[in-house]
Amino acid sequence: MNTLLSINNLTVAVGSKMLVNQVSFDVPPGKIVAIAGGSGSGKTTIGLSILRLLSPSLRIEQGKIIFEGKDLLGFSKEDMRQCRGARIGMIFQEPLSAFDPLFTIGQQMDEVLEAHTKLSKQERFKKILETLSEVELPDPKRAYKSFPHQLSGGMRQRAMVAQAIVGGPSLVIADEPTSSLDVTLQVKIMELFRRLRQKNISILLIAHDLGMISRVADEIMVLRQGEIVEKGLTMQVINQPRHEYTRALLEAFQ
Amino acid sequence: MTKVINSNSRTQMAFASFRRNRMAMVCFWALIVLYGVAIFADFICPYAYKDEDRNYSYCPPTAVEFLDHGRWACPFVYKHVLTFDAIHRRIYKIDPTQKYPLCFLKGGRFCTVEAPGRLYLWGADARGRDLFSRIWYGARISLSIGLLGVAISFILGLLIGGIAGYYGGWIDNVLMHLCEMFMMIPGFYLMLALRAAVPENFNSVQVYLSVIIILALIGWASLARVIRGMTLSLRERDYVLAAKTLGVPDFVIIIRHILPQTISYSMATLMLTVSSYILAEAGLSVVGLGIQDPIPSWGNLLSDAMEIVPVIFAPWILLPGLFIFIAVMSFNVVGDGLRDAFDPMFREGES
Repeated sequence: MNTLLSINNLTVAVGSKMLVNQVSFDVPPGKIVAIAGGSGSGKTTIGLSILRLLSPSLRIEQGKIIFEGKDLLGFSKEDMRQCRGARIGMIFQEPLSAFDPLFTIGQQMDEVLEAHTKLSKQERFKKILETLSEVELPDPKRAYKSFPHQLSGGMRQRAMVAQAIVGGPSLVIADEPTSSLDVTLQVKIMELFRRLRQKNISILLIAHDLGMISRVADEIMVLRQGEIVEKGLTMQVINQPRHEYTRALLEAFQ
Repeated sequence: MTKVINSNSRTQMAFASFRRNRMAMVCFWALIVLYGVAIFADFICPYAYKDEDRNYSYCPPTAVEFLDHGRWACPFVYKHVLTFDAIHRRIYKIDPTQKYPLCFLKGGRFCTVEAPGRLYLWGADARGRDLFSRIWYGARISLSIGLLGVAISFILGLLIGGIAGYYGGWIDNVLMHLCEMFMMIPGFYLMLALRAAVPENFNSVQVYLSVIIILALIGWASLARVIRGMTLSLRERDYVLAAKTLGVPDFVIIIRHILPQTISYSMATLMLTVSSYILAEAGLSVVGLGIQDPIPSWGNLLSDAMEIVPVIFAPWILLPGLFIFIAVMSFNVVGDGLRDAFDPMFREGES
């Protein structure tokens, strides 16, 4: 079976309330799979479950998260830490708050390499500059030395992508990566994702804007109140939505 | 374009606001002077701290004279002669026939007087030791004990508070109950109890180090509790979650992304704690449990003034108390100034 990430019957609950109910899906290598849904539909919870970084009040009731052939739920804490950043990266909605204001972009990317590799200081520096130019930041050296607030919103989001892929992961979870950007920048970030896919990095794209998702995603799942109501190839879901919730979402963005 | 307020300029604004606080600046410079003189005590003081002359027990402060029979002369001091009055009290009288010139830059000291003359700028103690020299040599002990003690307390407090707040759960419970155990014993008695646990045959360096450790053990708990509270909120920041998703080890997250955010609080507390440690060392030394004679500290210098009789005829032996007061007050005012400077609400109200 050719899948990178395979989630089976994932159920997450807080108290007796189900946030994610019996969700199953696969992410094949080098594909962009999108989870769409309104606020509170459990999108982010799925993303954090994969990394096992749910807040302590949430529990994974049942299910399997098979990544590269191993069940992540069976990993020890240290194995899981080594998996994060090196095998799975994450991109957040608001890059200004996702970077520590006290350190430069370069220093924060360096932490990732320091945690996962045995590269020397110069090698790490070279690798970071390479990654920064890979995400098409105009002046990688300047970006390396910049504090988060010194970059524009679009550049910060690119730096965030760079930080997520610097450790060389095969899966990137992007949680609403474009919601804080204007439309032209959103398109550019989506183009960037398309290029990452060419480098055989899979992306689990979490978003509410179906229109934007449809530009890049290979497959789309529509999530409502923790349950998948529709799943399929992008064209199919966009052009022939079967569920009324999908239709409502599509209409909202027209 | 709106200008983004960044953390760099926030620190700069805080220091600018601190510089406008005149009282705090005065105290800041007072501390610089105290530490500066203490560091260069070997050069500035006329005598070593052990240098004694029993003929000059409780000799009053000697005036440095510049005029000899109405004419300018090389600075000199008159000889003090010990006499007794009708009821056999010691009285020092000036003998105008005997003059001792000051000699400068001799024997590695800025200014001293050749024997048998003595230079007592701030008077002498019971054994004829120069109080000026002993106060500045004592400053080395008293001022450094505060700083070193605080340094250890801070490392302990920040780490334990950070770990307890970051991990929560049973680790938090165990560490915070440990803090409470230290906090429930009144500070001075805890200090005495810890001092009692120190072997008696320690030499002066060992006593010095043990006093530092005793002080450090007293103050860390309250700091750890506050840092833990701040960490509880800081660990929910997005960039902490971001660092976790990238596999950055917990220890690195605590040290680099959580504790630096507490800097404004810690800096102010650091200053206030130094002052309380200087007082605590003085307290320990006054009751004879701190630094031991002949090595001076402000506390054991002040213990000479515990009896009323010497204080009546040699009131200058209270001077170390004045220095404790200046140092403690300065640290408090500087600490308050820093806290106000880092508090944005206060700063806005001010401008």
